[in-house]
Amino acid sequence: MTFKYNHVYLNASSTVVGPNENQGPLKDFFDKKFSDFYAGEKSWEQAEIKMMATSINILLHKLKKAPSSIDLLIAGDLLDQIAPSSFVAANLKIPFLGIYSACATMAEAMIIGSNMLEAKQINNIICATSSHNLSAEKQFRYPSEYGAPKPKTATFTATGGAAAYLSRVKNHIKIESATIGKVIDLGQKDANHTGAAMAPAAADTIYTHFKNLKRNINHYDLILTGDLGLYGKEILINYLKEEYQIDIEKKYNDCGIMLYDLDKQNVGAGASGPVSSALVTFGYIIKQMTKKKFKKVLLVATGALFSPTFLFQSKTIPAVAHAIDLEVVE
Amino acid sequence: MTYLYAFLFAGAVCLIGQVILDNTKLTPGHVTSLFVIVGAFLDIFNIYDKFVLWAGGGALVPITSFGHLLIHGALDKAQEYGIMGLAMGMFDLTASGITAAIIIAFFITLIFKPKN
Repeated sequence: MTFKYNHVYLNASSTVVGPNENQGPLKDFFDKKFSDFYAGEKSWEQAEIKMMATSINILLHKLKKAPSSIDLLIAGDLLDQIAPSSFVAANLKIPFLGIYSACATMAEAMIIGSNMLEAKQINNIICATSSHNLSAEKQFRYPSEYGAPKPKTATFTATGGAAAYLSRVKNHIKIESATIGKVIDLGQKDANHTGAAMAPAAADTIYTHFKNLKRNINHYDLILTGDLGLYGKEILINYLKEEYQIDIEKKYNDCGIMLYDLDKQNVGAGASGPVSSALVTFGYIIKQMTKKKFKKVLLVATGALFSPTFLFQSKTIPAVAHAIDLEVVE
Repeated sequence: MTYLYAFLFAGAVCLIGQVILDNTKLTPGHVTSLFVIVGAFLDIFNIYDKFVLWAGGGALVPITSFGHLLIHGALDKAQEYGIMGLAMGMFDLTASGITAAIIIAFFITLIFKPKN
C-alpha cells in the first residue's frame, strides 16, 4: 500500500542518546546525551521513559509550543505493553495512540500521522519512540548480569529517545510518499540474527515502493534501512539483486551500521531498536538534507516482530518494513 | 601437578562450550543444561569422581560438577532409604552451593548496581 502526500512536512525533530551512541561516529549530531544507562533514574526502564520524555520536551522547546497545542501523539517502544510510551503520554496530556512494530515503530507512526495530516483530520502531530539497551536485553534475551556471550551476528539495541513534529506548515523537508509493508516470514528463528529475518521484508517493501511509484534507484540519493546490521545489509543487497533484479549497493546504507563504530565499539553487527533508525535519520540525515547533501532519501525502517514466548515454542520471527520518502523542498 | 590438571580439565570444558556456541544455534542456556546432564551421566561407575581426584577444583568448579553432585547425592540416599531416597538426596550435596549463591547474590545486590 503506497501513499503520495502533497502537504506533509517534517518541521522539527529531536534526539536523546545514551553512553554508547555518545561514543559513536555521529556523536556531534544529537541534542542531548546521557553519560550512563540510568539517566539519573532508579531503573533502566525508568531511564527509558526519561529519554523519550526528554526528546519530546526538547522538540516542544524547539517549536516554542505547549503540549496543549499538539493534536496527536503517536508513540511506541520495545517494552511489554509499550509502557514507557504510556507513561510519557500520561504526563503530556496529548491525545495518544500507542503502536508497536518493533524497530519500524517510528516509520509506522509517521505514516499514520502523514495520512491524517493529508486528510486534514489533524493539524499537527508528534511521533516519538525510545529504546534502551539494558531494558531490552532483559526482556528479549538474557539479563545483562548473566553475562551470556553473543554471536557476531547479534545486534546491539540502541539507547535513547527521538521525536518528530509533522504538520502542513511548509518547511524545507517534506514527506513525499510512503509504503506500508507486508509482514514477511521466511522461517528464520535465530533471535541473534534478526538482520536475516528483516532483510526479505525490506526487499519486498523497496520493490513495492519502486513499483507503485514507477521509480527506480536513480530517483534517490540514498536508500537507508533501519537496523539490518552488517550481515543483514549484505543479505538485502544480494536478495534484491537475485529476487527482484534491483541493485541498490552504490546508494545504500544501514542506520544500524552508521550509529556505532563497529571496529572500536563492542556492539556486534550494529545498532538495532526502534530508536536506531530515528537517531540516525533525525540526528544525521536530516542535517545533511538541510545542507542539500542528500535531496531524496528513502528510509526503510525494519522491524523484527519477535516474541521471546513464541521463540521458546519454536515459532519463527515475522518481520515488517515500512518505507518513507523524505524530500528536500526546492 | 594438580594445578596443571585443573587447568586442563576446566579449560577443556570451556573449549567444548565455546565450540558449541560458535558452531550451533544452541544458546548459553542450552549449553549449561547440557553440561549438567553430561556431569550427571558421568556419575555412572564413579567416572566423575575420578576426574575430581585427578583435577581437584578444576573438576569441581565447572557446571558439570553440579550434575554429578545431584545424582551422586540421590544415589547415596537411595542406598539408605530405597526409591524414596532418590528424591530425598537429590539436593543434599548441592544445597550448600545453591544456598551460598542465593545469600551472596542477596548481599551483592545490596551493595552494587549493574552498570552496563
